[in-house]
Parts: sequence; C-alpha cells; structure tokens
Amino acid sequence: MQTITLVPKEQFKISVEAETITPDNFAGKSADEIGALVAFEGNAPRPLSELFDIKVNGSADAADDVKIEINGNVNRVKRIGEAMTAGLIMINGDVDMRCGAKMKGGTITIKGNADSWVGQEMTGGEINVQGDANYYVGAGYRGEACGMRGGKITVFGNANDFVGEHMCGGEIVIKGNAGIMPGVSNKGGKIVIEGDTDMPGSEMTKGTIIVKGTVKDLMPVYQREGIEAVDGVEFTKYVGDVVVDGTGELFVK
Amino acid sequence: MIIKDVLCPFCGCLCDDLAVEVEDNKVVDVKHACKIGASKIMGHDRIKAPMMRDDKNGEFREVSYDEAINESAKILANSKRPLLYGWASGLCEMMAKGILLNEEVGGIIDNTASVCHGPSVLGVHEKGLPTGTLGQFANRADLVVFWGCNPVQAHPRHMSRYSVFNKGFFASKGRRSRKVVVFDVRKTDTAEMADEYVQVNPGEDYIVMSALRAIIADKADVVPDSVGGVPKEKLVELAEAMKSAKFGIVYFGMGLTQSRGKYKNIDNAVSLITELNAHGKHSIIPMRGHYNVGGFGQVCAWTTGYAGAVDMSRGIPYYNPGETCSNDLLMREEIDAAFVIAGDAGAHFPAQSIARMSKVPVIQVDPFHNPTTEMANIVIPTKVSGVELEGTAYRMDCVSLRMRKLVDVDFPSDEEVLDKIIAKVQEIKGASS
Amino acid sequence: MSEMVIKNATVYDPINNINGDMMDIAVKDGKIVDSVSGSAQTIDAGGRLVYPGGVDAHTHIAGSKVNVGRIMRPDDSRLNNKPRTKVTRPRTGYTVPNVYSMGYGYAEMGYTTAFEAAVPILKARHTHEELEEIPIIDKGGLTLFGSNWMVMDAIRENDLDRLAAYVAWGLLSSRGWGVKIVNPGGGEAWGFGKNVSGLDDPVPNFEVTPRQIVRQLAEANEKLNLPHSIHLHCNNLGKPGNYETTLATFDVCKDIKSKRDRQSLHVTHVQFNAWGGNHWGDFESKAEPIADYLNKNDFLTIDMGQLVFGSATTMTADGPVQYANARLLKARWSNGDVELEDSSGVTPLEYHPQSYIHGIMWAIGLELALLTKDPWQVLMTTDHPNGGPYVNYPMVMTMLMSKKRREEEMAKIAEKTFERTSIAGIDKELDWYDIAIKTRATHAKVLGIVEHGKGHLGVGADADIAIYDIKPDETDATIEYNKVEAAFRYAAYTIKGGEIVVKDGEITATPKGKTFWVKSTAPADGHERMMEDLKMKFKKYYSVSMANYMVQDEYVEHPYVVETGYQ
Repeated sequence: MQTITLVPKEQFKISVEAETITPDNFAGKSADEIGALVAFEGNAPRPLSELFDIKVNGSADAADDVKIEINGNVNRVKRIGEAMTAGLIMINGDVDMRCGAKMKGGTITIKGNADSWVGQEMTGGEINVQGDANYYVGAGYRGEACGMRGGKITVFGNANDFVGEHMCGGEIVIKGNAGIMPGVSNKGGKIVIEGDTDMPGSEMTKGTIIVKGTVKDLMPVYQREGIEAVDGVEFTKYVGDVVVDGTGELFVK
Repeated sequence: MIIKDVLCPFCGCLCDDLAVEVEDNKVVDVKHACKIGASKIMGHDRIKAPMMRDDKNGEFREVSYDEAINESAKILANSKRPLLYGWASGLCEMMAKGILLNEEVGGIIDNTASVCHGPSVLGVHEKGLPTGTLGQFANRADLVVFWGCNPVQAHPRHMSRYSVFNKGFFASKGRRSRKVVVFDVRKTDTAEMADEYVQVNPGEDYIVMSALRAIIADKADVVPDSVGGVPKEKLVELAEAMKSAKFGIVYFGMGLTQSRGKYKNIDNAVSLITELNAHGKHSIIPMRGHYNVGGFGQVCAWTTGYAGAVDMSRGIPYYNPGETCSNDLLMREEIDAAFVIAGDAGAHFPAQSIARMSKVPVIQVDPFHNPTTEMANIVIPTKVSGVELEGTAYRMDCVSLRMRKLVDVDFPSDEEVLDKIIAKVQEIKGASS
Repeated sequence: MSEMVIKNATVYDPINNINGDMMDIAVKDGKIVDSVSGSAQTIDAGGRLVYPGGVDAHTHIAGSKVNVGRIMRPDDSRLNNKPRTKVTRPRTGYTVPNVYSMGYGYAEMGYTTAFEAAVPILKARHTHEELEEIPIIDKGGLTLFGSNWMVMDAIRENDLDRLAAYVAWGLLSSRGWGVKIVNPGGGEAWGFGKNVSGLDDPVPNFEVTPRQIVRQLAEANEKLNLPHSIHLHCNNLGKPGNYETTLATFDVCKDIKSKRDRQSLHVTHVQFNAWGGNHWGDFESKAEPIADYLNKNDFLTIDMGQLVFGSATTMTADGPVQYANARLLKARWSNGDVELEDSSGVTPLEYHPQSYIHGIMWAIGLELALLTKDPWQVLMTTDHPNGGPYVNYPMVMTMLMSKKRREEEMAKIAEKTFERTSIAGIDKELDWYDIAIKTRATHAKVLGIVEHGKGHLGVGADADIAIYDIKPDETDATIEYNKVEAAFRYAAYTIKGGEIVVKDGEITATPKGKTFWVKSTAPADGHERMMEDLKMKFKKYYSVSMANYMVQDEYVEHPYVVETGYQ
C-alpha cells in the first residue's frame, strides 16, 4: 500500500487543473517525483510541489494499491482522479469541477462538496460525495450521445440541475434533493433521488428513475401505469418519455 | 451626398436598405432605419483619446495609443487567467485577431452570447437547428410564432422586413397571408398585435413544448388538463394549427434562453420543430441581439472548432459553457485581468461578476463611454464599426454581408489596436522564453 | 529566383504519360522548369515515389454547412487536438476540422489543391472567408444552381441565353469555378418540405423538371465554355433502387458536346446513387450497371464517395435526404434553406461495419472504381466528410491497390453484405500509376485546371510535388499496404509552389494558396433580360439588397481568374 498525502499550500483562487493527481500517475513514485508532476494554474504550469506539501508512505506497483489523501479545501482544483483505473482518492474538503471525469475504476470519496461535472463520462468505479454536488452529476460532454456509462455516484447532500444527463449506464444516488431535469435524455442506468426534484426523465428512452420525495412538475409525457413496489416501498409507476417512444421507468412516491 | 444600401450596425436584423446622407464627412441624416439604428449611425459623444488610471475610483489621465497599448499588452501577457470579452459590435476581421490574441495570452475568449443566446448554441449541440435564411421565411411562412421575444421593441423592423407585414412570393397578401401567434409570460407589444396570444407560466415553456410534442405524436392522452398555465384544449388547438401549417416559423429570444431550463428550452423547441416537419415545413431561428454577435460564433467556430467560451490556458481550445463562460469564471473570482472590446460587460453582467472586475485590471476598447468604462483602468477608443470602418458582419440567419464605411475619422480600428497588442505580447513572451 | 531540384525521383505523372521513370524535377520561382543552375536547393528523393501534389475535386471544406457542423459538434472538435507550434495554429476536429487543421491535414498527405463542393451564392462570402483561412492549399468552389429561381424561370421560358447569363453572373457573384447541381429541383420542393421523385417530376410552383434543369444547365455550361463540366449530385440519393434514376440522368447529357477536351458531365459521390433493391430489406449494390455504363460511354466521369467506417458528419445541399437520415437515425439535424436558391442539411452519423447496409455502401464505392475499366473515369473521393473524413484517403488508396487489404476490412463486415455486392470476387488491384490518376491527374483534368498548372509535373506546371517515403519498385503494395498507407498519410515532402511545406509529415511552412474562379460573358441581350428578372427578384423576394449581395474582391486575396467567352 502506498499512501500519498497532499496538503494544499494555499487557497487557490484561479483554478488549478490537476489531472495528474491519480493513483495511476502516482503509483510507485517518490515524493520528489510526484512533486515534479505538472499542474496548471490558469495558463501557468506549476509543479505539484509548489502547490502541495507532499508526503509518501510505503510503495505500490500499481494503482490499485495506492491511496491519495488530500487534506484541505481543493475547491479550485479540477480534474482530480481523471481517467483513473484503480486505487483510492480521499478528499477531506471541497473539490472543483470534473472530479473523477472519465473514471474507469477505483474509488473517490469527497468529504465536502463537489462542483459541477463530478464523474463526467464515467465508465466504472465509485464516487461518494458527502456534501452537496453542483450541476451535471455523472453527465456527458456537450454533443456526446452518452454521459455516464458505468460505475456508481452517491451524493449524500443535494445535487443541482441535470443529474445523470445523457446517462447510458451505471447508478447515481442523491440522498438529498436534486435540481431540475434529472435523467434528461437518458438511454440507460439508474437514478435514485431520495429528496425532491423537478421534471424528471425528460426525453428518457431507457433507464430507471426513482424519486422518493416530491416532484414539482411531472413531465406531461409519461404514461401512468399504476402502483408498483420497489424494494418493499410503493411508488406510482410511469413509463415514458412517450414522445421519444421511451420505455424508461419513472417511480414517484 | 446620399449613400444607399447602407447596412445598420445595431441589431441582428442587419437591415441593408438604409440611406445615409453625409455632408462634410459627417452623417446628417439616416433614412429607413429604426430609431435605435439611426441613433447609432448619427453618432454621439465619444471617447476622445486613450486614457489610463491606476485607481478605478480616480481620474483618468490622457495617454498616447502606444502607452495604452503597451500597458495593455503587459497586463495580458502577465496574467494567468485573462478574459477577452465582448466582440459583438465589432467586425469579423477583428474577431479573428482577438482569437489569436487569446491564443497568445492563454486566456478565455467569450462574447456577448454568453448572456444572451449562448444557451441556443447549447441547444444546437443537443438537437441541431432546422433553419434557413430570413427570405425563406419571408416568402413562405403562413404560421409565424414569436416565442419569448418581443420584436416590436427589440428588433423594430423585423416584422416589416422579414416576418409579418412584408409580401412574399408565396405570401402575396402580406400580413393577411400569415397567422401570428405569440407565446410569452406577459402580453407584450408584439402579443398585442398578434392573432393569438398564449400566456405561459414563467419558467414553464419547456413543459408546454413537451405537451405539444406529445399531442403532435398522437399521445395526447398522457397530457394533463393544463400544462404551464395553458389548458389542454388550447394545446390541442395549437398543435392542430401547427400541424396543418404549410410553413411554420418560430422566432425565439431571451424569454426562452434566460428562463428556467435555459438551453433545454431551445433544445425542446428544436425537437418540436423537427417533429413538425413530418407534417409540413417548419423552421426555427434565434433573434440575435447585436448585429454581429452571430459573426463571432462563426469566426470562433472555424478558427477553434467552438462557437465561443474558448479557454486556451492549456494550449488547446477547451469549451465547456458552465465552466468557461465569462460569468462562470468571474463569479468564481478566477479572472485576473479583463479585456472588454465591442461589448458592454458593465451593463449586462451580474453584480458578482462586476464585483470581480472591479478588483482586477480592466482594459476597454470601445468608441463610446458605457458602464464598462466605470470599471476600466485603460480605455482605448477606436472607430465605430459599420459607420467609420467597413468589414464583415453576420446577420441573425448567418448570412454574411459587408458593412460600409460612411465617414473618415482619425481613430484606429479595433483590428489595428489588436494587431499592436498581439505584437507587443509576442515580444514580451518571446523575451521571457 | 528560388531554384530547387529533386533528384532521383520515381515519378508517376499520368498527364504526361510518365509511369515510374527515375528522373530529376527542376523547379524555379514556383514552377516546374527544364533545368536549374548548380546553386539550386537539392532534395534527394532517393528513388522514392513522387506524385504531383494531390488534387481533390469534391470535398466540403469551407462555408456555412461546414461551420454548422463545427458548431453542432463540440464532440467532434474535441478530437484530434494539437497545440500550436512555431509554424502552425492549434488544430481541432476529425470530421469537421478547424480551418487550420483542414489545410495542414491535406498538405500532410501531399495534397496541394482542393475544391469546395457546394457554394450557395447568397452565402458565398462565408465560403471565401473560410477558404482564405485554410492554409497552404490552392482552392476553388463549385456554385449551386440546381434549385435556383432565376435558373428555373429561365428554363421554363426556354431562354438559354438568359440562363447562361445568370450562370455567368452567379459565378461572378460567388467567385465560383463551376456549376454545381444538387438534387435538381429538390431544393425548391424542400422549401415546403417536399422533394422531387425523379427526373420528370415537375418542381412544384415552377413547372420545370429536373431533367430540364440538368440538360439546360449543361447546355449553358458549354455555351459559356466553362473549364469544368456541370457537376451533378443526382436525384433520389440515398434511396434503395436509385440506380435507375442515376442511369437515366447520365443519358440526359449523352449528346452534350464540349469544345474542351473533357467530360460533358461529372456525377459525384455515385456510391450513394448506385443502390438497388426496393427498401432496406432487399438493398443491394448496383455498381455493376453503373460501371458498365461508364465502360460504354466516355462523355462522363464520376467520383466514388467512398464510405469509411467510423464517425462522419453528413452535409449536403440535399435537404430532404438529410432530414430523412436524421429521422431514421434519431440524430441531430441542422437544416439551412437558402432563399430563392437551394437548401442544405447537416447530420452526424456513424458507419458500422456490422451494419450490412453500411457494408454494402462500403463495397459499392470500391466496386465503382475497380469495375470501371478507364481509371480516368472514376475519381477517388469520400465526399468528405459525408462518406468519411479526407484523412482516410490513404486507407482508401490501399484498398484500391490491394485485395488482401480489402479482405482484411471485409472480415469485419456483416456477412449479408457479400450476398448483395460483388466486392469479394473482385481481384483487380490498381497500381501506382492508376492511383496517381485517381488522386490527382484526373481530378485536375475533370476540373479543367491542368492547363492552369495542376495535376501534373510537366514544364510550366505549378511546382506542387509530393514525395512519399516508399520505393515503388521495392514495395509490393498488394501486401505491404500498411507501409503504403503510412507513407501516403504523412508525406516525406510536400512542396507547394516550389516551397517545402511538409517535411517528414510535419508542417514546415504555411503560405497562402490561391483561389480559382471563372469570369465569363454571355450575349448582351441575354444578360439584359437576365438583369431585368434579377432586379425584380431582389426588389420583391430577396431579403438583401442587390448592391450588397455579390462577393467583393476583399474576400478573395489571391485570385486566379480564368476568363471565358460565349460560344
């Protein structure tokens, strides 16, 4: 097991792009080697050693044996964990946009809040946001047919608009409330919202959305099927979006 | 001397039938334009010379162009996250230079669409845009819908030149050849003159569109009795009118792009139009604001691959509205220098963005005083594009036309200023590499 | 006074009948010359393959449709990204590259000239703005006339002189090189969401047929003695069974004679128009009867429109086809009607080898090239980016040269394909000479730019030269196709107008190319009648003033103007 601890040296204002912070990139490297990896603060290249205090304990041959702990607010550090295949990242604070984008495996736990596009285009692995998440949880990139294809994202707080936009697979759980249009344009996957939301499942062709709280505006394009139980709890089941000949399932408490 | 076929440098209508009388190198009269267009061409008080101040609350002092340009170049070259904003009142030729400057300084370039029709572009990424040139609608449309826009106020000659009153090849009776329907949250001046006004609850245009789509797809049974404040019978009636139109056109504006859902409203509207094409011919077009905001989207797209909000900090164009738009960045206090040209950030940005701009160096390039001037540290006056400078602009329907020069003035053009800033930035960056 | 000599070049220059001769090529002031002085810059080709710079007679590289593709597809622009270098600007995009990548990509493959396939007159200014920004290559545009009100009115009134006068005026207005016809008459029908069903289906409200449009534009084209023939995208593109329309369309121009030494008709991306069957279920290739026709008739040429598996962005002036595609595939759809003139549509697509429909389409393009006996009659294209992006040309070239390469591709393709096409049984393999014809010589000949220095390496030609890292005598292209593809993909040298622009696949210089366009004259009385009609249309129907309509000189910085007179 190799544990790398990063403590931000300052409270960044201008966002830092740190797609180099992944278990894959850190595996088997010394603190100096990790420190030499380059992140970008705006247009300025900055070695990680300038941005973080870096401590390394133990060693690892591969990403799956690596744990990265970030102690402090990195609410202006983007792309942490991008495309990682294994290993663990623990962020003890808030994190900026696109955390875990294109993730393939491993686990990211965010103790604080996550900014927009957490788990963007994810294909595997697990992300846990203990605070709130912003827009586009597990969503795609502009113009792409699919957002999330696999893996699991859990947000313990609230999420903003467009949760799981263009989802093709995987699972998203929002324990709090979600903003407007979760599951918009979905082709698969499962979204569970334990709190309230608004206009779920617009243009969904396939997939499952379960809402345990209240829905402000139900989309006027769903066929009501009746009452159905899911894991012992009763929901009103709808099928749609009828306009796109959708067979998605929408369960509303 | 009367100059004919002049193009108006104000709104997205880009009317090109103006007649301008020029005497002794001054514009003395403008015919055929609307009041706002005429006013721009007639001209008004302008900034006389470049000026600078260190303290935004202090007095400006007059400086030479060279000094202003060199200082601007220094600021931009040394910034980590500069924003180059505006562009929409300028010409395409200078926009290309702006994009190059952004490349040199590794910043973000964004235009006024960010606070206007940017969401329309996001809708296009999702669904495309079935549209055409304005003359196509002028000649053919028998069903004209204004959704969330008010041309009587914002595009004064639109309805007489293109959409409602004009005669067309297949619309020989002019106004009587068309049925005009307005969807809006309140009864605007445009709604007053329409054949039908449909009141939609604020923020509920999206579900109204979805309901219409369901009815048109013969799935009316799932639609509730009232959607978005519109009774189902009315929705059914409207769907029928749309389906039986020979040529339907939807003009839309801020009512859709800036209300709840934003780009999803456009996305849904495009799908509605696409689906209607199974029944008749239907198109949709955004009512662009500035006369050349469309031009920025075009130039930026062919140069970088994206229509705006391009972040060059990593050396490769990166585009992600929500992350790379001007206000996304300003509200997060990320920007460390702002370059505002041919666009008025001060007038249109939210308070939080203005607050950030008040804390960083702001360079303004514009012929006229405006709220951005209040926050500026360096001000560089230039020619009024389309009046004192000729060049290319794109009308709201993406037809490009050449703006005319009507009078001569002794100010540099935007392009000349940008060229000099680029050269100076290259010099500074070359020296440090 | 810059001089260069390329020594030890194994040259294939079909226009000058040079078939693999080892020779030197002398260059002076951007042109091929007989000889140069001893102080000339020397490049030793070392016996490697040398072709004239590539010429692409049909590709969608600039203008409104292309930009619609870019704006619609950030998912495409995020591909193939390269940061700037000392010499190059940043590059983005695969099917819809940015302007810089567009030029660099062609140059890297040894191409030096490309023609934009469809220019709407009202939006021609936009086309030229983009063409001007595309680095290195020489270019031109083909102007759309096939659904134009001025054209149809002149045809209905049987006024050939007036028609010719409009063609001349339209070419001037658009700074265009030739007459492009797309789904004749269909663009107007599409104005109300309809289409034309074949050559004799009259265009609603205009009482002319597609047959008349094609015929009379061909006649006007020859009366004006334009360098290029009419360039035609047939009706019924993309419909199973359309090959019959295609053959009937060929016949329309059978007896059109040109004073120039060239075809009277060029039909484009015929792959999309060589379809048999009645519906998708019995869909099959009809490349054979098309090739048969070409083998019996020499008045026409075609280009392939080859399919490449993977991502494509379809963009054409065939509005109805694009709508149909988008609905069928539930894909994004942008439509762009141009008042009084034409239509257009842009839809992203994916071609899958496991779709037998796509498999058949893939086979048809190759069949057309391999079954037609005269290599000059079938130009290699992918109708970029409709069949696939042009960066795949080297792969297509190897498929023409190697049966084994085709078999490798066929192994991935749905089995059903081979019941519906004859590709599996075709043994023909083209050689270096044939490929030189199909990728430069015949493109230049068909366009009518050979006499203007393109497509060959004879004395007087532009010094547009491609040196590929392959020794033709030592390479068996039927087996070493990966090596051949790599060599064609990134040239050892691309020389443009005597300047080295690519070395070892890297861009070394980015000069600006020139834009070919035609200025022709029609008889005065025809011109007068045309202007009267035109002025009326501007007054009543166009949304722009006539005074603001035409492309101004400012938009074509390096014009190469060819003047022609009325015959």
